[in-house]
Amino acid sequence: MEHNQKTNMARNWMGSVLSDIHFWVPVAVLMGGLLLLRFIR
Amino acid sequence: MPPDSSSQFQPAIQDTPRSRRLQLLGILSGFAAGAWLGAAEAPTKLVSIGISPMVISLIMVIGVFLARWSLPALILGTSSVRADVRRAPHLVIWALLAGCLWAVANTLTIYAIRDIGLSIAFPLWNSNSLLGILWGFLFFNELRQVGWRRRAGVLGGALVMCTGATLLAVASSGHGPAAHSLRGVWAALGAGILWGTMYIPYRKAYLTGMNPLSFVTFFSFGELGMMSILSVSSLGFAPLWQALLTTRSVIFWLMLGGFVWVIGDIFQQYAAKYVGISRGIPLSNSNQLWGLLWGILVFGELHGRSSSIYLEVIGGSLLMMLGVGAIAFSSATSQEQTRWKEAAIRESDRYGVAADFVEARMDGRQLLGEEEPSRSALDWLLVIAATSVFVIFGAMARVPQMSLHWGPAALLTAVLFLFLIICGLALWRTTRFN
Repeated sequence: MEHNQKTNMARNWMGSVLSDIHFWVPVAVLMGGLLLLRFIR
Repeated sequence: MPPDSSSQFQPAIQDTPRSRRLQLLGILSGFAAGAWLGAAEAPTKLVSIGISPMVISLIMVIGVFLARWSLPALILGTSSVRADVRRAPHLVIWALLAGCLWAVANTLTIYAIRDIGLSIAFPLWNSNSLLGILWGFLFFNELRQVGWRRRAGVLGGALVMCTGATLLAVASSGHGPAAHSLRGVWAALGAGILWGTMYIPYRKAYLTGMNPLSFVTFFSFGELGMMSILSVSSLGFAPLWQALLTTRSVIFWLMLGGFVWVIGDIFQQYAAKYVGISRGIPLSNSNQLWGLLWGILVFGELHGRSSSIYLEVIGGSLLMMLGVGAIAFSSATSQEQTRWKEAAIRESDRYGVAADFVEARMDGRQLLGEEEPSRSALDWLLVIAATSVFVIFGAMARVPQMSLHWGPAALLTAVLFLFLIICGLALWRTTRFN
C-alpha cells in the first residue's frame, strides 16, 4: 500500500516536470549544445 | 493531485527591514561570488601547458565534486539535503540538468579559446547575463513592476559590464587568437547560451524552497557524469587514464581551482536566491575583474606592455565597476518581490510543495517546528574523505617553477577570506544558510 503510494507520488512529480514548459527550454538548449560540440569536434 | 497551496500563501510583500536585508545579502553574495570565482583561475595558472584541455576540465570537475559534497556536509549536514529532497524531489532532475548544461558549456569554452582566443571568446560567453535577464523576466516575473529606472539600471549595468569585459579581455590577451574561425565564435556563443539557460533550474529550485547547499550536491552528479562521458568519448578510456597518471603532479592545483570555484558558486547560488538571476548573474560576472587582478598583480601578466593596454585595462575595469554598481543599486522593490512570490505560488501549486515551507525558505528562515539540521558520522566521514584526497594529491604535487609576486597574492587572498567571513557571517546570522 505504502509502496504504491510512493510510486504514484514519483509518477506525479515526474509528470509535473515533463509537462512543465520551463523544463523543455534547458533540455532543448542542452541538446543544441551537444550537437554543437559534436560539430566542433 | 497536488494540494492547492495558493490559498494559504500571502503574495503581497511589505518593504520590511527583513526583505531589504535579504536584498543586501543577495548583493553581497554576488560580490563575494565574483571574487571567489575570479580567484579560481589562479591555481590553474600554475599548471604548465601541454595537458589536454579535456583532462584539465575533468580534474577540475573532480575537485568541484569533492567540494560540493564535503562543504554542505560540513556546513549543514547531509540530513538537511535529504530533508530538502523529500520535500521537493523533482528538483533533483533540475539540478542534474543544470550540471549537464554546465559541463557542456565549460567544454565549449575550451574549444572557443583554442579557436578564437580568450579576448573574443570571453565577452561572447559573458553575454550569458543578458540571457539570464531575459529568462528571469519571461519565466520568473523578475524586473516586473519596477519602474524604468531600476530596469534600465539592471539592463544598462549588464550591457556596460559586457563592454568592460570586452575591453579587459582584449587587453589581457597576450597575443592574437590561434586561428580566427567561425567555429570558435559559435562555441563561445553556445557556452553563453548554455550558461545563461542553466540559471532557469537555479531559480526554479529557489522559488520552490530548496536550499542552495542541497541543490549543488545534486548538480555535481550531472556535472561529473556529463564531463566523464565527454572526456571518455573524446579521448578514449585508456588514453584518458594514461593522461591522468602523467599529470598527477599537477592534479592538486587543478582540484584546488575547482574547490575555490565551488565556494564562489555557493555564493552565486545565494545571490540567485535572494536577488534573482537577472541581478545575481551580472554581479557574479565581475569574476573577470578579479581574474585580471590575479593575472596582473600576482602572475606579472601585461608586464612591459604599452600604455594603451594599461588604459584599456583601467577603462574596462571602471566600466565593469560602473555596471556592477548600477545593478547593485537597482535592488528589487516590494512590488517586484510580490511578483516573485506569485511565481513561487505557481511552482508550489504545480509540484505540490507545502506553501508555508516555500514561504519560509524564500524568507531565508526555517519552517516553524522544522528539525534543526545536524551533522552525523556520515557527514564527518565525507569531510575526512574529501580532505584526505586533497592531502594525498597535495603530497604528490610539484611546486611550479615560476616567478610569483607573493605580496599581492597574500593581499588578494586576505581580501578573499574577508569576503568569505563577512558574507558567510551575514548569511549565517540572517538565514542560518537556509
